[in-house]
Amino acid sequence: MRVLLLTCALAAASFAQQIKIDLDHLAKKAANTVDLSLPSNLIQLGAAMLDPKDPDQAQVKKVVSGLQAIYIKNFEFKREGEYTKADLDSIRTQMKAPEWARIVGVLSSEERETVEVWVKTDAGKVAGLTILAADPRELTVVNLVGSIDPAAIGELSGHFGIPKFSPPKSKKK
Amino acid sequence: MIGIVSTPKAAIDFDAAMQEHRSMVFSVAYHFLHDRDQAEEVAQDVFLSLHKNLHEIESPSHAAHWLRRVAVQRSIDASRRRMRRPVVALENVKEPSVKPAAADPLLGELLRKLIVSLPETQRMVVILRYQEDLDPTEIAAVMGIPVGTVKSHLQRSLALLREKLERRGVGER
Amino acid sequence: MDWLEEELKQALARKEPSADFDARVRRRMVRTMPRWLAAAAAVIVLASGAGLYRHRQGEMAKEQLLQAMRITGEKLSVVQEHMQSIGERQ
Repeated sequence: MRVLLLTCALAAASFAQQIKIDLDHLAKKAANTVDLSLPSNLIQLGAAMLDPKDPDQAQVKKVVSGLQAIYIKNFEFKREGEYTKADLDSIRTQMKAPEWARIVGVLSSEERETVEVWVKTDAGKVAGLTILAADPRELTVVNLVGSIDPAAIGELSGHFGIPKFSPPKSKKK
Repeated sequence: MIGIVSTPKAAIDFDAAMQEHRSMVFSVAYHFLHDRDQAEEVAQDVFLSLHKNLHEIESPSHAAHWLRRVAVQRSIDASRRRMRRPVVALENVKEPSVKPAAADPLLGELLRKLIVSLPETQRMVVILRYQEDLDPTEIAAVMGIPVGTVKSHLQRSLALLREKLERRGVGER
Repeated sequence: MDWLEEELKQALARKEPSADFDARVRRRMVRTMPRWLAAAAAVIVLASGAGLYRHRQGEMAKEQLLQAMRITGEKLSVVQEHMQSIGERQ
Protein backbone atom coordinates (compact mmCIF):
# COMPACT_ATOMS: atom_id res chain seq x y z
CA MET A 1 0.00 0.00 0.00
CA ARG A 2 1.43 3.34 -0.93
CA VAL A 3 1.37 6.16 1.52
CA LEU A 4 -2.03 7.78 2.03
CA LEU A 5 -0.41 10.94 0.82
CA LEU A 6 -0.51 9.52 -2.68
CA THR A 7 -4.26 9.21 -2.78
CA CYS A 8 -5.08 12.84 -2.08
CA ALA A 9 -6.83 14.65 -4.91
CA LEU A 10 -5.28 17.26 -7.12
CA ALA A 11 -6.21 20.81 -6.22
CA ALA A 12 -6.50 24.02 -8.11
CA ALA A 13 -3.98 26.57 -6.92
CA SER A 14 -5.03 27.91 -3.58
CA PHE A 15 -2.57 30.15 -1.84
CA ALA A 16 -2.22 29.25 1.83
CA GLN A 17 -0.55 31.34 4.44
CA GLN A 18 2.74 29.82 5.53
CA ILE A 19 3.07 28.37 9.01
CA LYS A 20 5.31 30.12 11.48
CA ILE A 21 8.62 28.28 11.75
CA ASP A 22 10.19 29.93 14.75
CA LEU A 23 13.35 27.85 15.12
CA ASP A 24 16.10 30.30 14.23
CA HIS A 25 17.47 30.08 17.78
CA LEU A 26 18.64 26.57 16.91
CA ALA A 27 20.96 27.81 14.19
CA LYS A 28 23.68 28.87 16.59
CA LYS A 29 23.72 25.38 18.16
CA ALA A 30 23.68 23.56 14.84
CA ALA A 31 26.74 22.21 13.07
CA ASN A 32 24.91 22.57 9.73
CA THR A 33 21.83 24.61 8.87
CA VAL A 34 19.71 24.72 5.74
CA ASP A 35 17.27 27.62 5.55
CA LEU A 36 15.28 27.90 2.34
CA SER A 37 12.47 30.35 1.65
CA LEU A 38 11.29 30.36 -1.92
CA PRO A 39 8.37 32.60 -2.90
CA SER A 40 6.37 32.06 -6.03
CA ASN A 41 8.51 34.18 -8.35
CA LEU A 42 11.70 32.32 -7.41
CA ILE A 43 9.98 28.97 -7.75
CA GLN A 44 8.91 29.90 -11.27
CA LEU A 45 12.33 31.30 -12.11
CA GLY A 46 14.07 28.17 -10.86
CA ALA A 47 11.56 25.83 -12.49
CA ALA A 48 12.18 27.50 -15.83
CA MET A 49 15.87 26.55 -15.53
CA LEU A 50 15.17 22.88 -14.83
CA ASP A 51 16.32 20.46 -17.47
CA PRO A 52 13.34 18.37 -18.62
CA LYS A 53 15.72 15.69 -19.94
CA ASP A 54 17.17 15.10 -16.49
CA PRO A 55 14.86 12.66 -14.67
CA ASP A 56 15.50 14.23 -11.25
CA GLN A 57 14.84 17.74 -12.49
CA ALA A 58 11.81 16.69 -14.49
CA GLN A 59 10.31 15.21 -11.33
CA VAL A 60 10.97 18.41 -9.42
CA LYS A 61 9.26 20.38 -12.16
CA LYS A 62 6.13 18.25 -11.71
CA VAL A 63 6.10 18.74 -7.95
CA VAL A 64 6.67 22.48 -7.88
CA SER A 65 4.38 23.40 -10.76
CA GLY A 66 1.48 24.27 -8.46
CA LEU A 67 3.43 25.66 -5.52
CA GLN A 68 3.19 29.21 -4.22
CA ALA A 69 5.97 28.97 -1.65
CA ILE A 70 8.50 26.57 -0.18
CA TYR A 71 9.94 26.85 3.30
CA ILE A 72 12.53 24.49 4.70
CA LYS A 73 14.49 24.62 7.92
CA ASN A 74 16.97 21.85 8.63
CA PHE A 75 19.34 21.74 11.59
CA GLU A 76 22.01 19.13 12.15
CA PHE A 77 23.61 19.01 15.59
CA LYS A 78 26.81 17.44 16.88
CA ARG A 79 25.17 16.29 20.10
CA GLU A 80 21.80 15.01 21.15
CA GLY A 81 19.49 17.19 23.18
CA GLU A 82 20.06 20.48 21.36
CA TYR A 83 16.40 21.00 20.57
CA THR A 84 13.44 20.54 22.88
CA LYS A 85 9.92 19.20 22.77
CA ALA A 86 8.79 22.81 22.84
CA ASP A 87 10.52 23.33 19.49
CA LEU A 88 8.57 20.42 18.02
CA ASP A 89 5.34 21.57 19.66
CA SER A 90 5.73 25.01 18.13
CA ILE A 91 5.00 23.32 14.81
CA ARG A 92 2.55 20.69 16.04
CA THR A 93 0.35 23.26 17.75
CA GLN A 94 -0.15 25.10 14.49
CA MET A 95 -1.13 21.84 12.85
CA LYS A 96 -4.12 21.58 15.21
CA ALA A 97 -5.91 24.27 13.23
CA PRO A 98 -8.99 22.82 11.54
CA GLU A 99 -7.69 23.18 8.02
CA TRP A 100 -4.73 20.91 8.77
CA ALA A 101 -4.99 17.13 9.10
CA ARG A 102 -2.22 14.77 10.10
CA ILE A 103 -2.17 12.01 7.54
CA VAL A 104 0.74 9.97 8.81
CA GLY A 105 3.22 9.77 11.63
CA VAL A 106 5.96 7.16 11.65
CA LEU A 107 8.79 6.15 13.90
CA SER A 108 11.91 4.62 12.41
CA SER A 109 13.27 2.67 15.35
CA GLU A 110 16.57 1.93 13.61
CA GLU A 111 17.43 5.61 13.34
CA ARG A 112 15.22 6.89 16.18
CA GLU A 113 13.59 9.27 13.72
CA THR A 114 9.98 10.39 13.78
CA VAL A 115 8.35 11.85 10.70
CA GLU A 116 4.91 13.49 10.78
CA VAL A 117 3.08 14.71 7.70
CA TRP A 118 0.12 17.08 7.65
CA VAL A 119 -1.94 18.23 4.72
CA LYS A 120 -3.87 21.46 4.50
CA THR A 121 -7.11 21.44 2.59
CA ASP A 122 -9.15 24.30 1.25
CA ALA A 123 -12.58 23.64 -0.20
CA GLY A 124 -11.74 19.96 -0.31
CA LYS A 125 -8.51 20.40 -2.22
CA VAL A 126 -4.91 20.08 -1.10
CA ALA A 127 -3.45 23.50 -0.42
CA GLY A 128 -0.36 22.77 1.64
CA LEU A 129 1.93 20.16 3.12
CA THR A 130 3.99 20.21 6.30
CA ILE A 131 6.57 17.64 7.29
CA LEU A 132 8.19 17.54 10.72
CA ALA A 133 11.12 15.11 10.95
CA ALA A 134 13.13 14.70 14.13
CA ASP A 135 15.93 12.41 15.20
CA PRO A 136 18.27 12.84 18.17
CA ARG A 137 20.68 15.04 16.23
CA GLU A 138 18.64 16.54 13.42
CA LEU A 139 15.45 18.53 13.03
CA THR A 140 13.71 19.31 9.76
CA VAL A 141 10.58 21.29 8.96
CA VAL A 142 9.25 21.37 5.41
CA ASN A 143 6.28 23.56 4.44
CA LEU A 144 5.04 23.48 0.87
CA VAL A 145 2.34 26.03 0.13
CA GLY A 146 0.01 25.66 -2.81
CA SER A 147 -1.44 22.95 -4.93
CA ILE A 148 0.40 19.66 -4.51
CA ASP A 149 0.26 16.60 -6.70
CA PRO A 150 0.59 13.73 -4.20
CA ALA A 151 1.61 11.26 -6.88
CA ALA A 152 4.41 13.51 -8.06
CA ILE A 153 5.69 14.22 -4.58
CA GLY A 154 5.48 10.55 -3.66
CA GLU A 155 7.68 9.79 -6.64
CA LEU A 156 10.52 11.90 -5.34
CA SER A 157 11.86 8.60 -4.06
CA GLY A 158 13.89 7.05 -6.84
CA HIS A 159 15.56 10.40 -7.47
CA PHE A 160 18.49 12.26 -5.91
CA GLY A 161 19.93 9.02 -4.59
CA ILE A 162 16.85 8.39 -2.45
CA PRO A 163 15.83 4.76 -2.80
CA LYS A 164 12.74 4.01 -4.76
CA PHE A 165 10.15 2.06 -2.87
CA SER A 166 7.77 -0.18 -4.72
CA PRO A 167 4.52 -1.46 -3.28
CA PRO A 168 4.96 -4.97 -1.92
CA LYS A 169 3.56 -7.73 -4.10
CA SER A 170 0.20 -8.83 -2.81
CA LYS A 171 0.23 -12.31 -1.36
CA LYS A 172 -2.04 -14.91 -2.92
CA LYS A 173 -4.60 -16.16 -0.48
CA MET B 1 17.37 -0.78 6.09
CA ILE B 2 17.53 1.91 3.44
CA GLY B 3 19.90 1.10 0.59
CA ILE B 4 21.25 3.30 -2.12
CA VAL B 5 21.52 1.95 -5.62
CA SER B 6 24.62 2.97 -7.51
CA THR B 7 24.34 4.52 -10.91
CA PRO B 8 24.76 2.00 -13.74
CA LYS B 9 28.22 3.32 -14.63
CA ALA B 10 29.76 2.77 -11.15
CA ALA B 11 32.07 -0.22 -10.77
CA ILE B 12 31.15 -0.59 -7.13
CA ASP B 13 28.02 -0.32 -5.04
CA PHE B 14 28.38 2.68 -2.74
CA ASP B 15 26.18 1.27 -0.01
CA ALA B 16 28.14 -1.97 0.11
CA ALA B 17 31.43 -0.10 0.15
CA MET B 18 30.29 2.01 3.08
CA GLN B 19 29.19 -1.05 5.03
CA GLU B 20 32.42 -2.88 4.34
CA HIS B 21 34.83 -0.06 5.02
CA ARG B 22 33.23 2.29 7.50
CA SER B 23 35.00 0.81 10.51
CA MET B 24 38.34 1.02 8.74
CA VAL B 25 37.83 4.65 7.81
CA PHE B 26 36.44 5.61 11.19
CA SER B 27 39.18 3.78 13.06
CA VAL B 28 42.00 5.45 11.12
CA ALA B 29 40.52 8.82 12.01
CA TYR B 30 39.71 7.87 15.59
CA HIS B 31 43.12 6.46 16.41
CA PHE B 32 44.78 9.43 14.76
CA LEU B 33 42.67 12.13 16.37
CA HIS B 34 41.58 10.35 19.55
CA ASP B 35 38.30 12.26 19.34
CA ARG B 36 35.15 10.34 18.48
CA ASP B 37 33.11 13.28 17.19
CA GLN B 38 35.91 14.54 14.99
CA ALA B 39 36.58 11.05 13.72
CA GLU B 40 32.91 10.64 12.76
CA GLU B 41 33.00 13.90 10.86
CA VAL B 42 36.16 12.95 9.03
CA ALA B 43 34.74 9.53 8.21
CA GLN B 44 31.54 11.07 6.86
CA ASP B 45 33.59 13.44 4.70
CA VAL B 46 35.55 10.52 3.30
CA PHE B 47 32.42 8.67 2.20
CA LEU B 48 30.87 11.83 0.76
CA SER B 49 34.04 12.21 -1.22
CA LEU B 50 33.77 8.62 -2.38
CA HIS B 51 30.24 9.22 -3.56
CA LYS B 52 31.31 12.29 -5.52
CA ASN B 53 34.17 10.39 -7.12
CA LEU B 54 32.47 7.05 -7.63
CA HIS B 55 33.07 7.21 -11.36
CA GLU B 56 36.83 7.07 -10.75
CA ILE B 57 36.68 3.82 -8.79
CA GLU B 58 37.58 0.84 -10.90
CA SER B 59 36.99 -2.10 -8.56
CA PRO B 60 36.24 -3.03 -4.94
CA SER B 61 39.95 -3.34 -4.12
CA HIS B 62 40.57 0.06 -5.69
CA ALA B 63 37.81 1.43 -3.46
CA ALA B 64 39.51 0.03 -0.36
CA HIS B 65 42.82 1.56 -1.32
CA TRP B 66 41.18 4.86 -2.27
CA LEU B 67 39.25 5.05 1.00
CA ARG B 68 42.31 4.30 3.08
CA ARG B 69 44.33 6.95 1.30
CA VAL B 70 41.64 9.62 1.65
CA ALA B 71 41.02 8.67 5.29
CA VAL B 72 44.70 9.22 5.98
CA GLN B 73 44.75 12.58 4.21
CA ARG B 74 41.59 13.87 5.83
CA SER B 75 42.68 12.76 9.29
CA ILE B 76 45.96 14.60 8.95
CA ASP B 77 44.14 17.67 7.62
CA ALA B 78 41.72 17.59 10.55
CA SER B 79 44.58 17.33 12.99
CA ARG B 80 46.29 20.36 11.47
CA ARG B 81 43.08 22.35 11.56
CA ARG B 82 42.68 21.46 15.17
CA MET B 83 46.09 23.06 15.81
CA ARG B 84 46.42 21.92 19.31
CA ARG B 85 48.42 19.45 21.28
CA PRO B 86 47.12 15.94 21.85
CA VAL B 87 44.14 15.81 24.13
CA VAL B 88 45.78 14.13 27.12
CA ALA B 89 48.85 15.38 28.93
CA LEU B 90 50.80 12.21 29.48
CA GLU B 91 51.88 13.30 32.95
CA ASN B 92 48.24 12.97 33.92
CA VAL B 93 47.93 9.42 32.67
CA LYS B 94 47.73 7.03 35.57
CA GLU B 95 50.75 4.78 35.65
CA PRO B 96 50.10 1.12 36.13
CA SER B 97 51.98 -0.20 39.13
CA VAL B 98 52.25 -3.76 37.89
CA LYS B 99 53.08 -5.29 34.57
CA PRO B 100 49.82 -5.71 32.73
CA ALA B 101 48.31 -9.03 31.76
CA ALA B 102 47.38 -9.78 28.18
CA ALA B 103 44.73 -7.55 26.62
CA ASP B 104 44.81 -5.17 29.56
CA PRO B 105 42.38 -2.38 28.72
CA LEU B 106 44.45 0.08 30.76
CA LEU B 107 47.50 -0.67 28.68
CA GLY B 108 45.46 -0.39 25.51
CA GLU B 109 44.20 3.03 26.46
CA LEU B 110 47.68 4.11 27.52
CA LEU B 111 49.06 3.00 24.21
CA ARG B 112 46.38 4.85 22.28
CA LYS B 113 47.19 8.02 24.15
CA LEU B 114 50.92 7.58 23.64
CA ILE B 115 50.31 7.09 19.93
CA VAL B 116 48.42 10.38 19.76
CA SER B 117 51.46 12.12 21.21
CA LEU B 118 53.62 10.96 18.29
CA PRO B 119 54.33 13.38 15.46
CA GLU B 120 51.74 13.16 12.70
CA THR B 121 53.56 11.11 10.13
CA GLN B 122 54.90 8.62 12.64
CA ARG B 123 51.47 8.36 14.20
CA MET B 124 49.83 7.49 10.92
CA VAL B 125 52.57 4.99 10.04
CA VAL B 126 51.97 3.20 13.33
CA ILE B 127 48.20 3.15 12.76
CA LEU B 128 48.52 1.78 9.25
CA ARG B 129 50.98 -0.85 10.39
CA TYR B 130 49.15 -2.13 13.44
CA GLN B 131 45.52 -1.32 12.77
CA GLU B 132 45.53 -2.12 9.08
CA ASP B 133 48.34 -4.67 9.09
CA LEU B 134 49.97 -3.02 6.07
CA ASP B 135 53.61 -3.67 5.32
CA PRO B 136 56.01 -0.74 4.81
CA THR B 137 55.68 -0.86 1.01
CA GLU B 138 51.90 -0.59 1.25
CA ILE B 139 52.15 2.17 3.85
CA ALA B 140 54.51 4.08 1.59
CA ALA B 141 52.01 3.81 -1.27
CA VAL B 142 49.11 5.03 0.87
CA MET B 143 51.00 7.94 2.37
CA GLY B 144 53.06 8.88 -0.65
CA ILE B 145 56.36 8.70 1.19
CA PRO B 146 59.46 6.58 0.54
CA VAL B 147 59.59 3.04 1.95
CA GLY B 148 62.82 3.85 3.75
CA THR B 149 61.11 6.74 5.54
CA VAL B 150 58.28 4.43 6.60
CA LYS B 151 60.72 1.92 8.05
CA SER B 152 62.66 4.52 9.99
CA HIS B 153 59.45 6.08 11.31
CA LEU B 154 58.32 2.67 12.50
CA GLN B 155 61.62 1.95 14.22
CA ARG B 156 61.70 5.32 15.93
CA SER B 157 58.06 5.16 16.98
CA LEU B 158 58.46 1.74 18.56
CA ALA B 159 61.62 2.86 20.34
CA LEU B 160 59.85 5.95 21.63
CA LEU B 161 56.82 4.02 22.78
CA ARG B 162 58.99 1.44 24.53
CA GLU B 163 60.89 4.17 26.31
CA LYS B 164 57.69 5.91 27.45
CA LEU B 165 56.19 2.66 28.65
CA GLU B 166 59.34 1.72 30.57
CA ARG B 167 59.26 5.07 32.34
CA ARG B 168 55.82 4.10 33.47
CA GLY B 169 56.96 0.73 34.68
CA VAL B 170 55.42 -1.13 31.78
CA GLY B 171 57.71 -3.55 30.08
CA GLU B 172 58.02 -6.90 28.38
CA ARG B 173 56.04 -9.69 29.97
CA MET C 1 56.32 -9.52 16.36
CA ASP C 2 57.37 -8.67 19.90
CA TRP C 3 55.07 -8.06 22.82
CA LEU C 4 54.75 -4.32 22.15
CA GLU C 5 53.70 -4.90 18.57
CA GLU C 6 51.10 -7.42 19.72
CA GLU C 7 49.78 -4.92 22.25
CA LEU C 8 49.67 -2.23 19.58
CA LYS C 9 47.62 -4.49 17.32
CA GLN C 10 45.12 -4.99 20.10
CA ALA C 11 45.06 -1.35 21.14
CA LEU C 12 44.50 -0.28 17.54
CA ALA C 13 41.76 -2.81 16.78
CA ARG C 14 39.13 -1.30 14.54
CA LYS C 15 36.16 0.39 16.13
CA GLU C 16 32.68 0.97 14.74
CA PRO C 17 31.29 4.47 14.28
CA SER C 18 27.89 5.40 15.70
CA ALA C 19 24.88 3.27 14.78
CA ASP C 20 23.38 5.99 12.60
CA PHE C 21 26.60 6.67 10.69
CA ASP C 22 25.30 5.44 7.34
CA ALA C 23 22.14 7.48 7.69
CA ARG C 24 24.12 10.61 8.43
CA VAL C 25 26.25 10.16 5.37
CA ARG C 26 23.16 9.67 3.19
CA ARG C 27 21.54 12.77 4.63
CA ARG C 28 24.60 14.83 3.85
CA MET C 29 24.66 13.38 0.38
CA VAL C 30 21.25 14.77 -0.45
CA ARG C 31 22.14 18.10 1.01
CA THR C 32 25.38 18.95 -0.76
CA MET C 33 25.22 21.87 -3.12
CA PRO C 34 27.66 21.94 -5.97
CA ARG C 35 30.68 23.97 -4.96
CA TRP C 36 31.02 25.31 -8.48
CA LEU C 37 27.77 27.17 -8.00
CA ALA C 38 29.04 29.35 -5.17
CA ALA C 39 32.14 30.22 -7.18
CA ALA C 40 30.12 30.77 -10.34
CA ALA C 41 27.69 33.03 -8.51
CA ALA C 42 30.54 35.19 -7.25
CA VAL C 43 32.05 35.51 -10.71
CA ILE C 44 28.71 36.31 -12.30
CA VAL C 45 27.91 39.00 -9.75
CA LEU C 46 31.24 40.65 -10.43
CA ALA C 47 30.66 40.48 -14.15
CA SER C 48 27.34 42.33 -13.60
CA GLY C 49 24.74 43.05 -16.25
CA ALA C 50 21.02 42.50 -15.91
CA GLY C 51 21.01 39.39 -18.08
CA LEU C 52 23.82 37.75 -16.18
CA TYR C 53 22.25 38.70 -12.87
CA ARG C 54 18.94 37.16 -13.91
CA HIS C 55 20.67 34.02 -15.09
CA ARG C 56 22.50 33.74 -11.80
CA GLN C 57 19.27 34.22 -9.89
CA GLY C 58 17.65 31.54 -12.00
CA GLU C 59 20.51 29.09 -11.46
CA MET C 60 20.52 29.69 -7.73
CA ALA C 61 16.74 29.35 -7.57
CA LYS C 62 17.00 26.12 -9.50
CA GLU C 63 19.61 24.73 -7.12
CA GLN C 64 17.51 25.76 -4.14
CA LEU C 65 14.50 24.02 -5.65
CA LEU C 66 16.52 20.86 -6.15
CA GLN C 67 17.84 21.04 -2.62
CA ALA C 68 14.35 21.58 -1.24
CA MET C 69 12.99 18.59 -3.12
CA ARG C 70 15.90 16.39 -2.07
CA ILE C 71 15.22 17.15 1.58
CA THR C 72 11.46 16.69 1.13
CA GLY C 73 11.91 13.41 -0.73
CA GLU C 74 14.33 12.12 1.85
CA LYS C 75 11.91 12.70 4.71
CA LEU C 76 8.97 11.24 2.81
CA SER C 77 11.04 8.17 1.99
CA VAL C 78 11.11 7.36 5.73
CA VAL C 79 7.32 7.33 5.63
CA GLN C 80 7.24 5.25 2.48
CA GLU C 81 9.67 2.73 3.89
CA HIS C 82 7.49 2.39 6.97
CA MET C 83 4.35 1.91 4.90
CA GLN C 84 6.11 -0.63 2.74
CA SER C 85 7.15 -2.64 5.76
CA ILE C 86 3.55 -2.59 7.01
CA GLY C 87 2.37 -3.79 3.62
CA GLU C 88 4.89 -6.63 3.64
CA ARG C 89 3.66 -7.80 7.03
CA GLN C 90 0.04 -7.95 5.83
